[in-house]
Amino acid sequence: MSDIAVAGGEAARRDSASVATMDSWRPPDARRVLQLSLAVIWLLDAVLQYQSFMFTKGFGQMLAGTASGNPGVVASPINWDARLVEQHTVLLNTIFATIQLLLAVGIAWRPTLRVALAASIAWALGVWWFGEGLGEVLNSGASPVNGAPGAVIIYALLAVLLWPSDRHAAAAPFAAARAVGAQVARAVWLVLWGSLAYFALMPGNRAPQALNSMIAGMASGEPGWLAGLDNHAASLLAHQGLAASVVLAVALALIAVGVYLPRPAARATVVLAIVVAAVIWVFGEAFGTILAGGATDPNSGLLLILLAVTYWPTPTAASAAAAAQRAGAEEARA
Amino acid sequence: MMTPSWILDILAAVMLLVAAISAGRLVAARPRAGSTGDADIDIAHLLMGIAMAGMLVASLTTLPRGVWDAIFAVMTAWFGWRVYRESRGEGARVLADGHHMPHLVHSAAMLYMFVALTAPAAAGNGAGMSGMGGSSGMAMPTLNAPVVGFAFILWLAAYVVLDLDRLPGPGHAHGSYFARPALAGATAGAGSASLAASAVAAGTNAGVAGAQDQAAADGGHTAGGGGLLATASRSGLARALLLSPRAAAGCRIAMGVTMAFMLVIMI
Repeated sequence: MSDIAVAGGEAARRDSASVATMDSWRPPDARRVLQLSLAVIWLLDAVLQYQSFMFTKGFGQMLAGTASGNPGVVASPINWDARLVEQHTVLLNTIFATIQLLLAVGIAWRPTLRVALAASIAWALGVWWFGEGLGEVLNSGASPVNGAPGAVIIYALLAVLLWPSDRHAAAAPFAAARAVGAQVARAVWLVLWGSLAYFALMPGNRAPQALNSMIAGMASGEPGWLAGLDNHAASLLAHQGLAASVVLAVALALIAVGVYLPRPAARATVVLAIVVAAVIWVFGEAFGTILAGGATDPNSGLLLILLAVTYWPTPTAASAAAAAQRAGAEEARA
Repeated sequence: MMTPSWILDILAAVMLLVAAISAGRLVAARPRAGSTGDADIDIAHLLMGIAMAGMLVASLTTLPRGVWDAIFAVMTAWFGWRVYRESRGEGARVLADGHHMPHLVHSAAMLYMFVALTAPAAAGNGAGMSGMGGSSGMAMPTLNAPVVGFAFILWLAAYVVLDLDRLPGPGHAHGSYFARPALAGATAGAGSASLAASAVAAGTNAGVAGAQDQAAADGGHTAGGGGLLATASRSGLARALLLSPRAAAGCRIAMGVTMAFMLVIMI
């Protein structure tokens, strides 16, 4: 066998185990990393949808439960969908899970990114209505601590904000603004976090024992350490519902307006958003109750963290060029 | 409350296919003297495929649980050592981009699944995990320390997504993806060049090398005749398909998704 052939064979052997070395592959930029993170969460959703529980009538009943308290025009389609799922549970749940798997694969594979992101928006809106009852925003049950305004709507928001377009890239102060522009992206942020602040102050959420019972209720079925954390947090908030809700609402309102502040303050805002979302995810949502079984997604906390990261202020192309020009001028003077 | 058995059957079949592909890759790669290669990765995939098929479907159980414990402990240590060696050259970057890091995570996840398994599945005859389908009416196996399982799920999903991100699109089949520097100089002879071209047309990078090897094995013919192409392309392309980066990535992706699924239904 010729040396040439040996060399070629060995090269192919190495390559076969590492697609990373493909010539056409470019390392992901910040936005691509965020898109891949979204794909990871869709993949997590898909495997969660394949859980045993989802193949039982309990899944249909869970869907039906989201109709409760919603206006008839919203609730009727949910009830119809829930009945359909109860009748054809295995078939429909397999389809649902596979769709989510395909969305994850589509977002992760570059040639299908746009199609998958567009499909994920449509799918998320459908699930928001038929699977989450519009996040309970119409029935006074929404709370930022329990997943309002519905985790799945944040998937759709992320798909829009991470759309692979660079129409506004030159002046984009953060990744979320590259496709839709800074003004639109900031408005989306303001509405989302502002609505969370509003929900925190709703009567049902500011009642003395509201947060206590909400968090204590998450402990059921969780591993001991997480149940302990939840119970401890719940006891700290016992009879402190109003004060805790006000503090939470103020923090959420600060976050909502923070993206309009200068870059250092905006960074502090994003850090605060990540911390608040993490606290909600751990204490209020118990990691989406994934560890207890029966969860269909990781709930809103993880997605809010991802959303916040997309707003991390970075130098715009224009400001980077100006900085480079200043540095050049100083160097010339020196 | 059981996962439908047909889903487990399909996944078990996929895992057996991964095992078969990995075995084929080991044979097709023909280890050479002085070559370190990536045989360890194919061996790992072969063993994981067999083990996971047995976990998914009781009738496919092969080895006692204790043996699998030992195998995956050794495998985890081996890939840990490989990652350590890699990190000496590349630093912490190997955690996200390392060649052996995904295999360390896969091995550790397998070890975790076997070690953390709780009583229901272990209560069988001790021969294995008894499958997840519950065909014998046993309760669904569950795992201790579910938060570790959750961390593995996220990690596995991340590597699946990274693998998918690196897969070239169909438009790259005849583009720069195949014009590899390591192979460019290897297409010196006219026959080899023709074979390489036929392999490229087949859509695999390793096909270039496979066809070159085939040409050399055929006696180093350099006349680019159609008969030679036809003869060489058949076996060369089979090798090419097995050794292609897409086959390797496909195995990793299938394994990662299946492993994440198994962890989810057991935690």
